[in-house]
Amino acid sequence: MDSPKVNEALGVAYQIPRNSLALLMIAQIVVVLPYFMQLSPWIIAVGLFCGYWRMGVYQGRWDHPRRWIKALLVIASFAGVAVSGVSAYSLEAAASVLILAFALKLIEMKGRRDAYLVIFLGYFIIATQFLFDQSILVAIYELIATIMVTAAMVGMNQLHTRVRPLASLRLAGSLVVQALPFAIVLFLFFPRIAPLWTVPLPMGATTGISDHMTPGDIARLAQSDELAFRVVFRDPVPANKDLYWRGLVYSDFKSGTWSLGPQFKPSHPRLDENYSGEEIRYEVLLEPTMSNWLFALDTATAEASNVARTLDYRLVADDPVMSVFRYEVVSRPGELMDDRLIPVIRVREKKLPEGDNPRIRAFAQALYIDSGKDVATFIDAVLRHIRQELFSYTLQPPTLQREHSIDEFWFDTRAGFCTHYAGAFVFMLRSVGIPTRMVGGYQGGEINPIGNHLVVRQYDAHAWAEVWMAGRGWTRVDPTAAVAPERIELGLNAALSLTDRAALSLFTSVRMGDWGFLGRFLDWTDSLEHRWNLWVIGYDTRFQAGFLENLLGELTPTRIGLAILLGGSTSVGLVAIALFWRRRPVHRHPVERLIRRFGDRLAGFGYPRVASEPPGAFIRRVAEEAGLEATQVDNVVAELNTLLYNPSGTRSGTEIRQLRGQLRRLQFRLAFSLSH
Amino acid sequence: MTRNSTPIKRSPSYTTTSEVKDQIEALIGALNGILLGKEDAIKLALACLFARGHLLIEDLPGMGKTLLAHALAKVLGLSYNRVQFTSDVLPADIIGTSIFDKNTSEFRFIEGPLFAQLVLADEINRATPKSQSALLEAMEERQVTVEGMTRPLPEPFFVVATQNPVTQTGTFPLPESQLDRFLMRIEIGYPEPDAERELLRGGDRRKALETLGAIIDLQGLKKIQQSVDDIKVSDPLIEYIQRLVGHSRQAAEFAYGLSPRGAIALLHSARAWALIHDRSHVVPEDVQAVLPSVVEHRLREAADYSGHGGGALAQKLLSGVDVVG
Repeated sequence: MDSPKVNEALGVAYQIPRNSLALLMIAQIVVVLPYFMQLSPWIIAVGLFCGYWRMGVYQGRWDHPRRWIKALLVIASFAGVAVSGVSAYSLEAAASVLILAFALKLIEMKGRRDAYLVIFLGYFIIATQFLFDQSILVAIYELIATIMVTAAMVGMNQLHTRVRPLASLRLAGSLVVQALPFAIVLFLFFPRIAPLWTVPLPMGATTGISDHMTPGDIARLAQSDELAFRVVFRDPVPANKDLYWRGLVYSDFKSGTWSLGPQFKPSHPRLDENYSGEEIRYEVLLEPTMSNWLFALDTATAEASNVARTLDYRLVADDPVMSVFRYEVVSRPGELMDDRLIPVIRVREKKLPEGDNPRIRAFAQALYIDSGKDVATFIDAVLRHIRQELFSYTLQPPTLQREHSIDEFWFDTRAGFCTHYAGAFVFMLRSVGIPTRMVGGYQGGEINPIGNHLVVRQYDAHAWAEVWMAGRGWTRVDPTAAVAPERIELGLNAALSLTDRAALSLFTSVRMGDWGFLGRFLDWTDSLEHRWNLWVIGYDTRFQAGFLENLLGELTPTRIGLAILLGGSTSVGLVAIALFWRRRPVHRHPVERLIRRFGDRLAGFGYPRVASEPPGAFIRRVAEEAGLEATQVDNVVAELNTLLYNPSGTRSGTEIRQLRGQLRRLQFRLAFSLSH
Repeated sequence: MTRNSTPIKRSPSYTTTSEVKDQIEALIGALNGILLGKEDAIKLALACLFARGHLLIEDLPGMGKTLLAHALAKVLGLSYNRVQFTSDVLPADIIGTSIFDKNTSEFRFIEGPLFAQLVLADEINRATPKSQSALLEAMEERQVTVEGMTRPLPEPFFVVATQNPVTQTGTFPLPESQLDRFLMRIEIGYPEPDAERELLRGGDRRKALETLGAIIDLQGLKKIQQSVDDIKVSDPLIEYIQRLVGHSRQAAEFAYGLSPRGAIALLHSARAWALIHDRSHVVPEDVQAVLPSVVEHRLREAADYSGHGGGALAQKLLSGVDVVG
């Protein structure tokens, strides 16, 4: 901190101009605003307090804080972050400290140096926001924030007598726009270098389907119209009833909750080259889930090296999915899953807790004996039972007890949705010793008519069962289809009762219903977001490599460097040409063109025309320096002045040609005299 | 300061009548005989009056400001009044006042010194702002309003004001609004050694002034003013003036740019200058010759906002703009 005496010595030149300060403070607010979503409210409160203090200083009511107050604030802020519950090395903690420092700088900044520090911090904070969110809206917002911060920097360099905030904003805007082509070139070509250190990832709860499932989970998801993933099909889109997006396999059942069960090391299987059945190729753009499981149709093989397949045919990513994740999948519906069942899986998929749900066990065993102990007949019998008895499909079923929950559902409440039916089904099959498992994922999806991609949302979440049968491998059985076939054929909306539908959120109803304009608008925003994911966020190392190989052939550092250089200079050149074109003289007099050319030629002899020199004076000066008589150029000068400045004189092509000839002759004469 | 006065050959489409040309030459000659060796200042002063503008002469005491003003009135055949400004001159002292007439029992307006065709406002910046502003309406509207009555001033009406450099003691700087009403501000400067020798040898110039008669009459002056309006201006020249004005508005060293009135003043002064130099149309040399006198008092340096508009700015303006578009 400077003592007041030193400050006086620094003088006006080192102070922040008042008007620029206002702009700077607005820019600061704009930059910090999006963090309100991620950081705890007290940090914002500190920011507002600092802003209020600074306003007081700005209006001359308050003074800058004393040194011990500043020290206290800094210590208190750090302590606050430490006790606020975020872990010490998390992104939230780092961002909190950054924002706090930024806010505290408000009351501390005095000189230009401080202001520049705040401006550079502002750019840094803009970049940091993308660690939390990379959606198109955030990108647009941060572009505006960049313009604001740049405007503050422009403002800092204005004379204090000539401050025009709007003009600085305009200038900053055009600066940013002019920089965009070069930014695009860098985005396309600049190598994506793996980080030298790990950036801690933002904390956040898993979204979507989780690794354990209680019957209430899917009902909760059905309330949400949040995006799960988008799919771009290379092949024709299968029918809705075949769109089972398999994500998780639940093998363990305990106290009414299904969970994953023991896991084994995933592998990278190769595609079987002898396969000749149907094949579906597509690319999935998965929204962040904070977990590593991926969704695909049966039987899926991923083509990326960072996606592996587990023993139960699930796709998993190497790392948790923190931003939009792209992966290409080949699905072969005809390929068997586990034609031979290995013991660990057999054990895993037959296990049941002892003593739970005795009534349904007895029921299943009786039915199994009735079906002649044939698996297919038994499954039919169970499904027939569901169809024929008074089971109903609803998103708002009565709450079940933790113990004997399946008994309660099967015999007493008889109302539920996919999880209930799939759960009961799996339990019954396991209780008679058939390897069966519960599968979670999504079912269906909507085609966006604008982007022609499939959109799967959280309300498409679904659970079904898989039964292992000799010779057929794991076979999908969906008990929900027995109680509510329209759920599978047409989607959730068709299967919902009026009371269920009333409980949905507005956007969910809009998406499901036919709301005309609003629905089309949502389609449009969805396809916009999709393209953003496809071309901007999904443009990662792998896609960059593909793009560059298409463009440059073999990738060598020289070629990439040349591409950046060439692309960069082209983009900068284009901007320069555009600017030049905009400022080109709208209309240039033919005689003025002649004079310019004449001046350029004489500049070649070392006699350049001074900009402020009238054409006649220029010719006379050069003639004099060349030792020519003034009378020798009188004629040319008179002719030139008449053509250029006497509006009543004629200005036909012949006269201009004559003048051109005269100037050329004069040029030769001058060249001759000057060289002697 | 060097004024560009390169001789330009007379163009074939010469339109000014030889009568006007001879009169102008005679005027310059006569004035040259009074104010020795100051032909540029004389030409600028004449150009200013021909362009129907008011003139501000700024220089140190004893440089011949008053002499020039008085000589102008004489050779142009105009009625002449002089107001000597001091800090206690009141508006009524300039404009005039109403006096009760015992015989007619009515108030009678006694015209002040402002009611003349050429008013010399001597040392205008020694007056208080109140009195300075009394000149304002007169200069712009060519009329004055006293006690509710609007009275026209004589036709033509010129104000030739002189002022001491603002840095001298006992002065009230003229506000921008008032400075803007002067078409030109000129300086006379020290005489050349030759001229000064002749001056010393020849005795008091004021005696010569007494013998000076009117060279043209009112009719002649009107004709000259008409000829100024008839001077032609081509598009490339108008674009040059636009570039000049635009530069003054954009470049950082100017606190503010030239107003449209300033641009018109520049063009009109250039026309008058072209007429004096016997041309039917304006060339860039004309613009450059009058530019310092026309713009210097209308500009302020951004770095020295409250300072005195400087000649440096006019030179920056000239050198910063390309004559050829």
